[in-house]
Amino acid sequence: MTVDNGFDELIHPATRLQIVSLLAAADWADFTFIREQLGLSDSALSKQLSTLEEAGYVTIERPLSERRRRVRARLTPVGRERFNAHVAALQGIIAGA
Amino acid sequence: MTDYLSDAEARVALHDVERARQRVIDQIGMPKWYWWGLAACWIALGVLNDVANAWIVAVATIVFGAVHSAVSQRLLAGRRQTGNVKVRRDVAGRHAPLIVFGCLVGLAGVTIAAALAANADGAEHPATMASVLVAVIILLGGPRVMAAIRAGATRRDAVR
Repeated sequence: MTVDNGFDELIHPATRLQIVSLLAAADWADFTFIREQLGLSDSALSKQLSTLEEAGYVTIERPLSERRRRVRARLTPVGRERFNAHVAALQGIIAGA
Repeated sequence: MTDYLSDAEARVALHDVERARQRVIDQIGMPKWYWWGLAACWIALGVLNDVANAWIVAVATIVFGAVHSAVSQRLLAGRRQTGNVKVRRDVAGRHAPLIVFGCLVGLAGVTIAAALAANADGAEHPATMASVLVAVIILLGGPRVMAAIRAGATRRDAVR
């Protein structure tokens, strides 16, 4: 993973950036919510979340509610910090253009 | 990496960020059942005011207040319209619960004023009439208040 002036290569790919952006605006989001909002398949979303979880940017929770097993994703403080830095880096590129 | 990223690519990425945030902002609101339940309880209290004795009205009002307080603690901020996502407080706006609560206090005032006016006009069931009027305002206005809170969140996001 490369972090250059806040620019984060792990976050930057479009799908991951959208996932992290969704999570940055929420305390938590259900797997189904993210999947439906971004039009991803289960496997594609699982793969991206696993990558983010391995990097310590996201935590995956499995609360048992209404006798249904749900999967929730939540941005970690590190993930939020990296996301904010990444957005600032993008804004910096535009400002410097 | 930033050396290789063009201004246009950065703009596209930021657009993706804003669009994703907007998807979460669009989730700010209250469930429909909340507005319908509130309107139904408002009418029920109005009817009780007209037909029941003061003790029953007092007990019903306290029960309504307690139940509403319990339900609204979770919902009033508009951060959990569905059970699928919880919008962050700073995104929904820290004043959202106060805005909704203020509207409810205002509606209680409108109910009392309308009932007094209807009573002065000789209406047979002034509290019922007033509560039906306010129930309609709740059903039509509640979602509009949440839409205004969403619009406020979008504006804050744009200037951020």
